[in-house]
Amino acid sequence: MSHYEAPIREPLITGNKSFHDITNDVAAPVEGKANKLWWIAFLIALTAFLYGLGAIMYTIGTGIGVWGLNNKINWAWDITNFVWWVGIGHAGTLISAVLLLFRQKWRMGINRSAEAMTIFAVFQAGLFPIIHMGRVWNAFYVLPLPNALGNLWVNFNSPLLWDVFAISTYLSVSIVFWYTGLLPDFAMLRDRAVKPFQKKIYSLLSFGWSGRLKDWQRFEEVSLVLAGLATPLVLSVHTIVSMDFATSIMPGWHSTIFPPYFVAGAIFSGFAMVQTLLIIMRKVSNLEAYITNIHIENMNKVILLTGGIVSVAYITEFFIGWYSGSSYEDYTYLSVGAATGPYWWAFWALITCNFIIPQSLWFKKLRTSYMWSFFISIVINIGMWFERFDIIVIDLSRGHLPSTWAMFSPTYVDIAVFIGTIGFFFVLFLLYSRTFPVIAQAELKSILKSSGENYKKLREENHES
Amino acid sequence: MASNKKYWRSVEELKSDSPVVEQLMQKEFEEEIPTDAFLGDKESLSNSSTSRRDFLKYVGFSTAAASLAACQGPVVKSIPYVVKPDNIIPGVANYYASTMADGTDFANILVKVREGRPIKIEPNKMAGNWGATPARVQASVLSLYDNNRLRGPLAGGKTTSWSALDNKVAATLNQLKEKNEKIVILTGTTASPSSDKVIADFAKAYGNVEHVNYDALSECAALSAFDAMYGMRALPNYKFENADVIVSVGADFLGDWQGGQYNAAYAKGRAPKKGKMSRHIQFESNLSLTGANADKRLPLKPSEQVYALINLYNAVTGSSLTSKKTAADAAVKQAAKQLKKAGKNAVVVTGIQNKDAQILANAINVALGSVVFDATSPRFVKAGNNKQVKALLKEMNAGKVGALFIYNANPSYTLADAKSFNTALKKVKLSVAFTMSQDETALNTQFVATTPHYLESWGDTNFQAGQYGLMQPTIKPLFNTRQFEGSLLTWMDSNADYHQYIKDNWKGSILNGSTWNSALHDGIFTHDVKVKLSNTKLDVQASATALLKATKSAAFELKLYSKTSLGDGKQANNPWLQELPDPITRTTWDNYLTMSIADAKALDINNWNVSNGALNGDKVTVKVNNTVLKDVPVLIQPGQAKGSVGLALGYGRAAGMQDEMMTGLNAFALSFDFNTAQTVSIEKTSGTHEFACVQLQHTIMGRDEIIKETTLNDFINKPKEAWNETPEFSLNHQEVPAERVDLWEKFDDTIGPHFNLSIDLATCTGCATCIVACHAENNVPVVGKHEIRVSRDMHWLRIDRYYTSDMTNEKAKEEGVFGTGEMFNSMTHPQENPQVAFQPVMCQHCNHAPCETVCPVAATSHSRQGQNHMAYNRCIGTRYCANNCPYRVRRFNWFKYANNSEFDFNMNNDLSKMVLNPDVVVRSRGVMEKCSMCIQKTQLSILTAKKEGRPVSDDEFETACSSACPTGAMVFGDVNDKKSEVAELTKDERTFHLLAEIGTKPNVMYHLKVRNTKES
Repeated sequence: MSHYEAPIREPLITGNKSFHDITNDVAAPVEGKANKLWWIAFLIALTAFLYGLGAIMYTIGTGIGVWGLNNKINWAWDITNFVWWVGIGHAGTLISAVLLLFRQKWRMGINRSAEAMTIFAVFQAGLFPIIHMGRVWNAFYVLPLPNALGNLWVNFNSPLLWDVFAISTYLSVSIVFWYTGLLPDFAMLRDRAVKPFQKKIYSLLSFGWSGRLKDWQRFEEVSLVLAGLATPLVLSVHTIVSMDFATSIMPGWHSTIFPPYFVAGAIFSGFAMVQTLLIIMRKVSNLEAYITNIHIENMNKVILLTGGIVSVAYITEFFIGWYSGSSYEDYTYLSVGAATGPYWWAFWALITCNFIIPQSLWFKKLRTSYMWSFFISIVINIGMWFERFDIIVIDLSRGHLPSTWAMFSPTYVDIAVFIGTIGFFFVLFLLYSRTFPVIAQAELKSILKSSGENYKKLREENHES
Repeated sequence: MASNKKYWRSVEELKSDSPVVEQLMQKEFEEEIPTDAFLGDKESLSNSSTSRRDFLKYVGFSTAAASLAACQGPVVKSIPYVVKPDNIIPGVANYYASTMADGTDFANILVKVREGRPIKIEPNKMAGNWGATPARVQASVLSLYDNNRLRGPLAGGKTTSWSALDNKVAATLNQLKEKNEKIVILTGTTASPSSDKVIADFAKAYGNVEHVNYDALSECAALSAFDAMYGMRALPNYKFENADVIVSVGADFLGDWQGGQYNAAYAKGRAPKKGKMSRHIQFESNLSLTGANADKRLPLKPSEQVYALINLYNAVTGSSLTSKKTAADAAVKQAAKQLKKAGKNAVVVTGIQNKDAQILANAINVALGSVVFDATSPRFVKAGNNKQVKALLKEMNAGKVGALFIYNANPSYTLADAKSFNTALKKVKLSVAFTMSQDETALNTQFVATTPHYLESWGDTNFQAGQYGLMQPTIKPLFNTRQFEGSLLTWMDSNADYHQYIKDNWKGSILNGSTWNSALHDGIFTHDVKVKLSNTKLDVQASATALLKATKSAAFELKLYSKTSLGDGKQANNPWLQELPDPITRTTWDNYLTMSIADAKALDINNWNVSNGALNGDKVTVKVNNTVLKDVPVLIQPGQAKGSVGLALGYGRAAGMQDEMMTGLNAFALSFDFNTAQTVSIEKTSGTHEFACVQLQHTIMGRDEIIKETTLNDFINKPKEAWNETPEFSLNHQEVPAERVDLWEKFDDTIGPHFNLSIDLATCTGCATCIVACHAENNVPVVGKHEIRVSRDMHWLRIDRYYTSDMTNEKAKEEGVFGTGEMFNSMTHPQENPQVAFQPVMCQHCNHAPCETVCPVAATSHSRQGQNHMAYNRCIGTRYCANNCPYRVRRFNWFKYANNSEFDFNMNNDLSKMVLNPDVVVRSRGVMEKCSMCIQKTQLSILTAKKEGRPVSDDEFETACSSACPTGAMVFGDVNDKKSEVAELTKDERTFHLLAEIGTKPNVMYHLKVRNTKES
């Protein structure tokens, strides 16, 4: 797998790392004891999760009325959170599948965690369409199950049904892809494990990986095939999510640019979340050598690109809103509707977070700064949440008939459910970071000789080119 | 097939006296069960042991049995008829003609009765204008099942029996008779000949008896004026259908003015026919329903209305009575010109509570020779005499009244000085309230002779000369009650039953040879009568002078008014009415001070929307004649005359009510001297009031295609395209009507019926009848003030109300600000004196329904009959359909609204649940619901016709709203029946579809509003 890499390229693995060092570094968080910081973080996340769980149970027990929704704005935080989490869940597949196909080696330091994040985010996302139902106990009606009621069938015209298929497909492919990559790393942990219980567990998880050449060959093949399968999913999931809105007839929702706009937005927010997590993780788990400046910068470049696409989409929407000559569209996009209407703060939060602040990434100094990257990633996460909030709430609040204009204000239950999913997400992620190899070390080892700092230096000294 | 076979156990049984048979019959088992062998031997029994395993078995069994028994579902009793009443078939409704006359609302009605329970009020279409069922009449069926009704008579606030009460009352009455002390019967208007006769008989029996009429919404001024002119205490009848020009000075004649029920007649002139429609000019202070319907409306303070009326008289008759100038004098002159031009087809009405003002208005009508003003068939629906009530109070205070019977009135609540009435009441030796609940008056009387609801009562009415009506019970009295007349009959030792009494009375003096049964069947009886009127020449000059003298102008004038929902507050405990949005303000569960935009600005009073959209407002202290009403919320009302404020009566009830219904403030406390116009001072106080409005944006935001309207001039002179443009789309680079552009293949909807509902915006007065009718028919839940406040009203049918704005699309184009924020921002503000438009909106039953395509489980889908179905059982509550509905007519069950003490309205107790329509399911939590186009009614019509082997006739198809609509603005039917009325209406030039440009192809159509803006 070793390949040639130009010496002027910055190393992807810094420091004087040998193959064994990589193994040690990746295995360290799993084999060592959790530090205080981890426990604090875990307890906070668990509390948030339990709080949210309580709120969900209260909702299901009492009725959706405990949220702030009304008969004019029937979706708000629920679907905002859903789209937000789905969007976050986009980076993983993009990094592991698309970048694999494009042979971007820098993905190897981050793909494991990005995919883990994807899966955990999709869990959160999947939760919302379920709990937002008035009658959760009948949620299985959305599955095309054969039944004794004759031709009672799901409605294949409904984008919500497409969502069901899109999300579940995405989740299952992501899990398979992720797990396949984990096999050699689990085997590594198994081989290093000293306690019989751990050895048992990791040997079960590694599916009997033996490290034979045939194993590796199949591993490579499966990875490639799965990458091929997963790539269209990167586009399809958020395209379909966007169709929840685009196929409707609400002014502000009924828009043909939604699919690419949503996909770009999803990658934008997904990368931001990866940044958020990895910048912390490289410090906490001592992975500075593997998640380097170059990784951060590359991701920032993707953020800049997708952020640009999203910004162009905003401008396009505004232009079309005006150009359509429809006062409904015009009102929603321009003028009072968004920017100066009652939700002006949400609109400007979106513009500031998604458009203005990310422009700073044009500067290399800021782009390569860990602190600034972390700050920006948080800003973008907030901004992207507001984007979905704006699309859903502002548009619904200003429907066709002015007599039905209304407003939305969240109740504490709305907020608790959202906090709960953040808690759930971090519970999963923190558990993952303690029990899973957080870097695809097997893959990483394949580029150590070409992209490792020490090897690069060695080559330079030897005047190899 | 019943079997007649009988099985014999032995031949022995043939002998009936055989001892063997007898013996066998006595024994349960043929052979003795050897229980003794098992239980008799005590020793072996005590020696037997239970092993551990056996013990566990027993424990296991008993636990399982106990838990199984505990799992039993709730027991719902369903008791079949042992002897089925002949005329009741379970599942089939019976209709009875009856009449409602509670002193405020008067209507000839049909009562729909299912399995012995009245569940719906329908109009009696034989009864003409009196057959309409306004909102409160529609809602009255729920008042029958009011949980706060008294279960029996009370003495001193404690339950008593009728015989005990009768004994005590009769004893006191006899004492009074001996001393010839005065007995006063204080009633609200009953308009009942038999009731009057009973009172007359009672007077004969007891000698010194006076009957005082008292109306909370008094029309004493008009009665006195009519009396002065024609020698009869009655109200003139107005035939608005004949009017070409209507000028109203403060008369809310589409509301409760002079007993109401003028909607139908008025609407007849409002749809342009043959290029003609009536012209309606309104001078008023509060924006009333009538003013909202006017072609031209001028806001004037109550005092200025008086001057305007005199000025109008001067202008019409050419006299020169002394008056004062008003801001509307030019309009008054213009109106006078139009009145004179229309001559006998013109009419002037006034709501000024002053005899002289009424005389003046009548004089104008006489001068015009108006055929609209009809003195020859007077109305008797108001009889209240303020002078007598005042005199009564004086006598009570002087201790001159021996007994006071109060029926159909609640003076302790409706009198301005209720406190002194209550004190005076203590000086009366015998006081009896005849009421259904322990209301304010009942709390202060010695006895409460609990009366039944009108749906449990016998009665008769005479609303108008020659127009009689009968009231018949439609259910056995629910409680231990007795009718007022029944009590009087009992107390004068007559054994007559009131039912028989009415019958005899009718046979004797009304029926005129016709049969009682046919009158009872029809519910009404009419015959021509010649009313003898004396014509008194009046001194108009003197009237005008007196009127001018009685009128005081002030910086702030208060006009008390009655709302469509609560009226005078008789039915304030009715949750349907509490939750009925006011047609103008669209606010529920409240009364409030309406104030003009300019005055609010001057007093620094604001209304604002909080983060969840709900409306909040500042509060003021209102002072009239040293009476202070604190913490009165202010609602800023476009169209309110500057310098005037309005406050609705009927709120602030405090007795005999459920806590949730005790809303608002009692404005009767300010109605000094029975006058609804008062001088008032207003002071801003601290505190915020939370309103519950169902509409938060009041203008149409330049979206003129939503409510299309045109002027009469354009309607006559311009082609259809100029005032009712068909939306067009480009199809293959050609502009074609939007109707023809279709993404889908056309669905064959020509088989069977295809339902359409037509709504004429020209004749819809916004009276809200349809809302309550829909509520009653479809078991729509009441959700309470908080839920309304957060935009969760459940009404399947709403009436949108829009005000015009100073900014229009045309004006924006002229000023070059079209499509900008500036334009939209100024569009959000209504004009100071806006034009008003009403639009009933329910599910439009789109043939291309946006809701149907987005439901993931196909819970909402289309029928071949054009109805958009909602399968509640299938619904999982994603609410996507509601988001995708451009009309926002879908309603989600946010909570469990039935059997939930959090929503203690009409679905939480066994009594009020009796009103539920068994043909319509009560929806569970978490499902979407919406207008079904009354599918239970259309299916019934289809099945009935099928059973009878005939086609359905056009007038059989009805929805609750269309059948209740008093003006006929709503027409429902089958468009596949080419001869049907609705099929004709689809071809009308005024037809348009709401948001047709979206391509939803609704099955509800509207007919655009026409305003008669002709100034000459």
